[in-house]
Amino acid sequence: MNVEEARPDPHDLPKQRAGITPQMVGRYPTYDVLSQTSHWDETTRRVVLDRVENVPPIEFFTEGEALTLDAFCNIVTAQDSEPRIAVLNYIDEKLQRGERDGWRFFDMPDDDELWRLVARGLDEEARHHAHDSFADAPVETQVGIVHRFSKADLHGGVWEQVNLSRAFSVVMRYVAQAFYGHPWAWNEIGFGGPAYPRGYGAFGSPHLGEEESWEADESAHYDPVRDVRQRGLD
Amino acid sequence: MTLLKGSVAMPRDNDSAFLLDKHKRGLQNLDRMARYPLDETVDMLIVGAGAGGGVLAQRLARAGWRVVVLERGPFWDPDRDWVSDEKGSSGLYWTENRIISGNDPIQMGKNNSGVGVGGSMTHFAGYTPRLHPSDFETRTRDGVGVDWPISYWELQESFERVERELPVAGEFWPWGDPHGYPHGPHPVAGAASVAWQGARNHGIEMRVGPVAITNGVFGNRPHCIYRGFCLEGCKVNAKASPLITHFPDAVERGCEIRADSMATRVEVDDATGRISGVTYMTDGKERFQRAAAVAVCGYAIETPRLLLNSACPRHPNGLGNNDDQVGRYVMVQGATQTAARFPEMLRMYKAPPPEISSEQFYETDERRGFARGFSIQTISPMPIGWAEHVLAEGHWGQGLREYMRDYNHWTVLGILAEFLPQPENRVTLADVKDANGMPVAHFNYNMCENDHAIVDFASDILDKIWDGARAQDTLTIDRYAHLVGGARMGFSPDDSVVDSNHRVWGVDNLFVVDGAVLPTQGAANPALVIMALADRCAGLLAKKRAA
Repeated sequence: MNVEEARPDPHDLPKQRAGITPQMVGRYPTYDVLSQTSHWDETTRRVVLDRVENVPPIEFFTEGEALTLDAFCNIVTAQDSEPRIAVLNYIDEKLQRGERDGWRFFDMPDDDELWRLVARGLDEEARHHAHDSFADAPVETQVGIVHRFSKADLHGGVWEQVNLSRAFSVVMRYVAQAFYGHPWAWNEIGFGGPAYPRGYGAFGSPHLGEEESWEADESAHYDPVRDVRQRGLD
Repeated sequence: MTLLKGSVAMPRDNDSAFLLDKHKRGLQNLDRMARYPLDETVDMLIVGAGAGGGVLAQRLARAGWRVVVLERGPFWDPDRDWVSDEKGSSGLYWTENRIISGNDPIQMGKNNSGVGVGGSMTHFAGYTPRLHPSDFETRTRDGVGVDWPISYWELQESFERVERELPVAGEFWPWGDPHGYPHGPHPVAGAASVAWQGARNHGIEMRVGPVAITNGVFGNRPHCIYRGFCLEGCKVNAKASPLITHFPDAVERGCEIRADSMATRVEVDDATGRISGVTYMTDGKERFQRAAAVAVCGYAIETPRLLLNSACPRHPNGLGNNDDQVGRYVMVQGATQTAARFPEMLRMYKAPPPEISSEQFYETDERRGFARGFSIQTISPMPIGWAEHVLAEGHWGQGLREYMRDYNHWTVLGILAEFLPQPENRVTLADVKDANGMPVAHFNYNMCENDHAIVDFASDILDKIWDGARAQDTLTIDRYAHLVGGARMGFSPDDSVVDSNHRVWGVDNLFVVDGAVLPTQGAANPALVIMALADRCAGLLAKKRAA
């Protein structure tokens, strides 16, 4: 992967016109899930709006770890400009609260320790490339390091302490929860969001043009299996 | 079967659906709930308020027993505690530490473990198939697994009784022991109808259901609103869980449920050898409840953990474990999922994820080169679940974003493959301890050759279905679902933990009434099976007591 491919605007996706998406691109330029909050039950509304309106402060990670991991989260979610979903803040909040997903591989450290190890490992790797830290490295170096992390191809130092492919899958699970739990990402992918108490009426055959009155059309689409392969994003 | 839709067959001995409120989701009779003192010897102390414990509590309370249920998690009020949101629903899962290992380590948490009143049924998809008659004698018929000490026919009435209580909706079921359902089939959404077409083109039969989701009038429980959040807890009260199907009636009949109470030891009276009660932690304090009998209903991980942690001078290896059987033969099902891409928008998040299924490949067919079989079911992940598919393919960065932007064009079919019981697939106590000082469970899992052969064959069938549906592309991820076994039912103490009446070998007044007792699992989702076993066990206990 090169820098060109890491940019967030493949195929000239349309600019978002309603609501917010990460980097203001998406397939549904006129769709804003947050325009529907009056149809959500109060308990759900509080929880979801809180994600948008009250981004949790960094409390679990040190300042240095946060700089490194914030850069990492931006690379793995291809967020190279504002508006960004504050992925690391939600991960920090989960770790700070001691919340876990319910299991640990016998050969892996606890998740909070793993995240700190990853921060140290990314910085060590950046220093091999003559940068002070991962956050200080240019984007193409960061992308290269993450690429090798994803292929379990990092060696020496802290990387010898963990099973790398398990480590990558654990941290990416946290990233996916933070990013795709956020309403801005729902705008980007056209997800309906909370659906209680309204529910759905139009869930039948979409080729009959059946849709809810508040849903927006997709402006463009590409089959990602072919497209991602063609553009070398694997 | 559509003539029956939403009309008949309200259960006779369970008023739960009427004790709920049409416009509120939580239980309405908690102010009347009985309170038993710690030093009163209650008739039955149940550990775990899930599928097994819920049915057992309601039945025994109806029979006049003084019943207390200890539940690790909260007493849910869906209005107050649950959200129509994927990320916000993590409180429904058992997320405390468990160690996993083996060639095929099993992910826990939201995948298979619940906490709180209602157990994991609060976040199960809703599929409620029966086992087939063949499941009870796989050793005799197919030379694999083990025979049960009971037959399908001893559970048949229990299946019917529980199906009326949930209630189950679906088409007439042609597989196994053919049967109908109290509620008719739900309408099929766009995403599932694409899969159905593909199956038809390959000569594969599918049917709508069976799901424990109201599709008609049922007391004060509303009709499904097709919002698709079954795995996040049903805020509608349309999808069944013991929280709304059995505990309202249990409370009305004098059962006490103690939420936020973690059982740590089942205690044995050294003089008599009988169980005297259960030690548990609540609010940071240790308590002991006296009981004439105890039923452990903690499921395949926590039930073995509690039995092993209850070692005492008379049972130095743990309760029921004189022959090293506790924690062994835990089973998961192979649950490979294949997603398919279509040019049209399918918006798979709409309507319940469980819609149509097939048991055409459930039974052994020797030509396939393996024993037993699998079922096929629709599954519709929400965005975070879909992201896990994309991550499993190795995508991140721009690749991840682009796959995710394509979410509305995909739909997913999954299999449930019958994995065989193996002694080394087991739960033991780890060196690590939880906040109460209790060792956490260590769960080791390895697939056997037959397991691999089923998954390979079944994955090919999924590809054929999507090919028949003219999918543009597919993505496959290997995963596992459900948990059963770990304290299995059998013929003697050296092959099992409990007898055919759920009584722990060698301990007169201790029972296990949950998914842990299953000797084999078939290719069926376990919820209905567990409830039916609890119904049968309660019937045997009540009869014995009356005598």
